[in-house]
Amino acid sequence: MQAVLIAAVLAVSYLGFAFLALSQDRHWLHFSGERHCPPRIARSLRIAGYALLIVGLGLALFRDGAGFGSLVWGTTLTVGSFAVVCTLTWRPYWLRPLALVCQRLARRAVES
Amino acid sequence: MGASFRESMGWLHTWAGLVIGLLLFAVFWTGTLCVFDREIDRWMNPSTRLVYSGEPIAIDGLREEAGRLSPRTAPWAIVLPTPREPVLSIGYRGRGGFERTLFDPLTFKTVAPAESWAGTRFFFPFHHTLHLRIWHLGTWLTGLAGVAMMALCISGVIIHRKIFVDFFTLRRSRQPQRLLLDLHNTTGTLGLIFYFVMSFSGVTILASVYYPSGVWVAFEGGRSGYVRDTYDVFSRPHLNQPGPPLGSLDAMAATAREAWGGLNPGLVRVFHHGDRNSYVEVRPSIEAEVAMRTDPFFFDAATGAVLYRTSIRETTQVQQFLTGLHFAQFRHWTLRWLYFALGLLGCVLIVTGLLFWIESRRKAHAAADWKGVGFVEGLTIGGTGGMVLATLAFFVANRVLPSGATFRGVARYELEIWVFLAVWVLSFAHGWMRCGAAWIDQCRLVAGLCILAVALNGATTGDHVLRAWTDGKLAVAGMDLVLLAGGFAAAVTAWRLQRRRQGTAPKQFRHHHLEGQSS
Repeated sequence: MQAVLIAAVLAVSYLGFAFLALSQDRHWLHFSGERHCPPRIARSLRIAGYALLIVGLGLALFRDGAGFGSLVWGTTLTVGSFAVVCTLTWRPYWLRPLALVCQRLARRAVES
Repeated sequence: MGASFRESMGWLHTWAGLVIGLLLFAVFWTGTLCVFDREIDRWMNPSTRLVYSGEPIAIDGLREEAGRLSPRTAPWAIVLPTPREPVLSIGYRGRGGFERTLFDPLTFKTVAPAESWAGTRFFFPFHHTLHLRIWHLGTWLTGLAGVAMMALCISGVIIHRKIFVDFFTLRRSRQPQRLLLDLHNTTGTLGLIFYFVMSFSGVTILASVYYPSGVWVAFEGGRSGYVRDTYDVFSRPHLNQPGPPLGSLDAMAATAREAWGGLNPGLVRVFHHGDRNSYVEVRPSIEAEVAMRTDPFFFDAATGAVLYRTSIRETTQVQQFLTGLHFAQFRHWTLRWLYFALGLLGCVLIVTGLLFWIESRRKAHAAADWKGVGFVEGLTIGGTGGMVLATLAFFVANRVLPSGATFRGVARYELEIWVFLAVWVLSFAHGWMRCGAAWIDQCRLVAGLCILAVALNGATTGDHVLRAWTDGKLAVAGMDLVLLAGGFAAAVTAWRLQRRRQGTAPKQFRHHHLEGQSS
């Protein structure tokens, strides 16, 4: 349970920063070929990104209490974001499925 | 000095970074090592590689032994084991100063003394004194480094032009400058809070050294008054009258453990042993929470009655939280590894900052025939690569020197430290002589020394990775594995640098669609 929770804290931090990165034009361009991230998607991505980071805080506090939990959260933020940076630089295609899902969702939202 | 605020901050960041950079690297590197100080202790002092899982132990059996060991009336203490520090020790003031005798916590048999200063007695003091104890010089220098780090963090944020746009940007570029600046920016931005909190807490821990006037003015009796007031320490005088024998330490520990909610005691200290006014201090283990809470109980030595329970004020609690956060002596393996990772990231930040200074001036200095770049490059090689080499040489020397070795009256632990300092100084000379090629040499040496250290550990103690792992000596196995990983990384770096130097850039650096976009 403890191991699952810490893996979740790391995963949530990574995903949260991945969303935030995708919401930026520069990184959106790599995955979609579009020069600008549509404002609607950008907004949703940002909200989702920040929400995931806050979920991470909740999980860390639940796992470790206020003292250790806040430290675990603070340090995983750095590790998660730096992992996203490394992914974008050396293995950008790992994030392609994520971008495709976002695009598809956005298209569906436009059609409906 | 530049005209605008941002330009002046840029000036500050550049030159403070250059002047303080190497000092900061030494502090960051040893700090990162100290995250695993006890594990380094186990590796370097094989006699203490015991396995203890943390169950409470009875210490009454050691009372007589302790009384016999301590030849003076000075206080003596029993330091209880933890899974990370699996030896029980009695500390006392012997004829040659402070001494420790080690015991196996399960059998109470004496353990051969620790011959090396290893992590807790070498790297940890080095982290805040730089092994320079004259006039507290090292302490002042590390304080300067801490304050400078905070200034560098703030000025770095101010001069970063696009902190949010470039938040995730690390461009792979043929130009070393571009890559170095991106690496410096991302490691700096993403770890900013950690570096700032560590520098701030580091400076507050030693604040009473840097701002003694506060202690002199605010507390009656100066320093001792400050300690008494801040930590609410109990004491009573020596009466010079023989008293009843020492009561049960286990009963006192049990009383305290109950009041602490089941926390194991970490330290049991006896004052005025044998005197009528003798008393015992029992402190909790500092493993359980972030704050390094002292929270001691004081007992009458003979009857075991509670004489005093310390109450810690809020301000002291904040200070103890900051101290605990910095010392990282708690039992939390995830956080320990995260600290280690962030410490290494900080080292990358400092190295890339220095390398950027060098690379962005290389052409201009060559054109103007200045020696600045060559000088700083040699300094950087000695101060960063040399620091890593010196650390590894320290480990290897520890495994090569036979037990009890002395050389011209210099003890074994001092020989190890001399090896460390000598390799450090030599790598500066090497950096100046070989310039650019020195990086490749040193990466190769690092890789070789890592493997040598692991091999020597297996050969001299028999605890090779697999056996250490199956025996439950995870500290030893873990350190071997980290050394192997570091050696591998150094070997790959050496290989890549070599290829780049020969002009055949590895395939990974061919033109990529991420490159060349507008920034």
